[in-house]
Amino acid sequence: MRQYSGADVSGLTRFSKQKHPLYVGILGLIAIELSVVALLTVSCLYLMLTAPAWPPAGLEPAPLLWPSINLGLLIASMAAMRVAGNRITAGDRRGLIVGLLTAVSLHALVLVFRSLEMAAYDFRWDDHVYGSLMWTISGFHFTHVASAIVGTLVVAILAVKGYFTPERQLGVVVDTLYWNFVSAAWIPFYLALYWGPRLI
Amino acid sequence: MDERREDGRPGDVDWRERRGADPSESREAPGGPPTEERQEPLHPAIEDDAEETRRLAETWAAPTGFVGWFTPVNQRIIGRRFIVTAFVYFVLAGLLGVAMRLQLAVPENDLLAPDIYNQFFTVHGTAMMFLFAIPVLEGFALFVVPMMIGTRDMAFPRLNAFGYYVYLIGSAIFFLMLVVGMAPKAGWFNYVPLAGKLYEPGIGVDIWTTMITFIEVSALTAAVELIVTILKLRAPGMTLNRMPVFVWASLVMAFMIVFAMPAIIVASSLLILDRLVGTGFFVPEMGGDPLLWQHLFWFFGHPEVYIVLVPALGIVSTIVTTFTQRSLFGYTAIVISIVATGFVSFGLWVHHMFATGLPHLGMSFFMAASAMIAIPNGVQVFCWIATMWGSRIRLATPMLYVLGFFWVFVMGGLTGVMVASIPFDLQVHDTYFLVAHFHYVLIGGSVMPVIGALYYWYPQLTGRMMNEVAGKISFALVFVGFNVAFFPMHQLGLDGMPRRVYTYLEESGWGDLNLLATIGAVVLAAGFATTMVNALASLRWGAKARRNPWDAETLEWATESPPPPYNHRHIPIVKSREPVWDWREMKERPVVTGLRSDRREVVVTSILDAEPQAVQVLPAPTIWPFLSAVAASVGFIGILFHPIFFVVSFFLAFFSFVGWFWPRRPWQED
Repeated sequence: MRQYSGADVSGLTRFSKQKHPLYVGILGLIAIELSVVALLTVSCLYLMLTAPAWPPAGLEPAPLLWPSINLGLLIASMAAMRVAGNRITAGDRRGLIVGLLTAVSLHALVLVFRSLEMAAYDFRWDDHVYGSLMWTISGFHFTHVASAIVGTLVVAILAVKGYFTPERQLGVVVDTLYWNFVSAAWIPFYLALYWGPRLI
Repeated sequence: MDERREDGRPGDVDWRERRGADPSESREAPGGPPTEERQEPLHPAIEDDAEETRRLAETWAAPTGFVGWFTPVNQRIIGRRFIVTAFVYFVLAGLLGVAMRLQLAVPENDLLAPDIYNQFFTVHGTAMMFLFAIPVLEGFALFVVPMMIGTRDMAFPRLNAFGYYVYLIGSAIFFLMLVVGMAPKAGWFNYVPLAGKLYEPGIGVDIWTTMITFIEVSALTAAVELIVTILKLRAPGMTLNRMPVFVWASLVMAFMIVFAMPAIIVASSLLILDRLVGTGFFVPEMGGDPLLWQHLFWFFGHPEVYIVLVPALGIVSTIVTTFTQRSLFGYTAIVISIVATGFVSFGLWVHHMFATGLPHLGMSFFMAASAMIAIPNGVQVFCWIATMWGSRIRLATPMLYVLGFFWVFVMGGLTGVMVASIPFDLQVHDTYFLVAHFHYVLIGGSVMPVIGALYYWYPQLTGRMMNEVAGKISFALVFVGFNVAFFPMHQLGLDGMPRRVYTYLEESGWGDLNLLATIGAVVLAAGFATTMVNALASLRWGAKARRNPWDAETLEWATESPPPPYNHRHIPIVKSREPVWDWREMKERPVVTGLRSDRREVVVTSILDAEPQAVQVLPAPTIWPFLSAVAASVGFIGILFHPIFFVVSFFLAFFSFVGWFWPRRPWQED
């Protein structure tokens, strides 16, 4: 069969950001994890709404202060990642590194606060289903924050080695996407775990 | 693109041009149009340079040898492994089914002890669903879809390989539990409290929960792969409304997996926490609720049956088109039906829970939704009938299996509408009527098309044809055996025989029909065995396949059988739904040029209109996905023995991912 050239792609970019399949792939990963977040939240609401008392009689709802501070830190870290991305687009490698490390520090602070807060709970996960939920959802989010930290540290190391340029920054873009998911996932958990018992 | 069009260089074909706009022109071409064009062709032909072809093959070649087995990332190799592994489990789980039928052949039989029987029926159901049905359909999708959309690999080849090793490790461990006699025995639905620590203290259910979660990770990776590949790597010009129906079906399946599988992962993670560290999600004394398990499980479990059905419907559309040599009737209606099935399937899960005492309003809603899903499926059946109507159907084995599918699946669909009605459902709940119903739907709706697909795509899998005579014998045995085995179960159910029992009393009067069902099961097994032997024997003795042996219209047949490592020598440009038939008529075709042959490059196109946007450079073979799968399995198995393995595996997986993603010097330039 006779073949002729219908399109020449030699001039098309080999670097693309939002159009790159990896960008869509990370959105797919986030969709999966969002389903997990939604299912955990719905399970929490289901158990809360069918329980005779929530938290179980004799317990006060967990204090609001530290989780609220964490919420602020997580949102601030999203802003830091945003700035980091803008800096590398402008060709400022130093700015990228500073932005990434700021975001990592904010997340690390969240882990410290969460650890102290959870250590102060006066119930365990095997006391009652309220304790099970508090510990499981906290653990789930804790693990995700930890993995966002180690992943972003690797991105920061690559940044130090000069890997990222204004064109080649797909790694930063997709890391930021996942970072934002991890940070924002705290919002439904925060509402369900800390405001839920106060509002029902 | 526009600039280039103006200066008249080759490459100025508008791939958005619709086929519908110019059929008259192409038909008039020999007679009327201006003669200048024939004297001086508008588009100079491309001659394939042998040296270039050799280099392309070298770039895309998969490694060989023992170590090489752990490193390939090519989509066709991974897809084939999924298919082969899944069929191994099909045979094993099928044998368990035959064993159960032998136990039930006569009343008060003592062939299988109750404990063994429970293990067999749990593993049979779990394996058929998680180890066979999903992986085999994903395997066919991984194998066929990239070729069908005219590209050279999946979007994330390494993730693909990772998914396979995860599946292989997880499924092997799950199945080995049976060999050591410690398999789970709480059913494939694993209901609590039966599956709780109190009633099921052994390690079986632990393995079930962790390995199912693990295997679902593999399903999810394949789903994301398929979504991204289908949306971003289609050949230029393959707009969404020119996508083959099988690709649509794979896309819908992948989206369903993305939103359904997390439910089983959440459910089994909560259960393993209950069992290992004493949380109380499903323990009523602690404030938990066993019904939460049923909600979570069926929120996954109901879409699940459509996850294994929808791609099978895509296979049916493909085979019907090819074997009638006609355009599919009602393409748009079929695609909309597939998408609608995907959506509605998420609103049905409660119909598995009609007997649990839920609020009436909810029950009515789910009853209506359950009946409604018959509509999109009915639309498809009518479209297939219209396609076949008055055509000369070629009755080769794949088509026979599709015709068998019509009969069996429609029967299963009808009993489905019956059990969607609550009064009837409460009557037959937990009886053999249900066993009959879902085997009609699953074997009819999924297994028969899959066997048809095996015969149909075997030339692309191996380069040879499967034996037709053996294929027809196999179909006859499967069709007769299936109906003899499962039709009597409807009656047994109406007579009150409960599911999940390992034996029954003589006085019940169920003996004759059970014996009949067992005879049917043996015939059915012989039918499947014929196909399996045929597939193995044809590897060696099958006739060499010629190019496009079935005269099909989709792009996976536009290349040799079996395809070379790079799938297509040139990425084609598509202008219709049946590109291969068009080229046969027009004797020429446009292709993409400008991809490098010294590294793995594919064209990235836009989601809706498939216009070229960029070029993606794909990674080469590597061991890292295998190491990552091992690292993850250390965690999934280790936590059964000590929680520290969670942390160990976290860091092991982290290091393997860094090795996987670390850019290699010299950093890819361009």
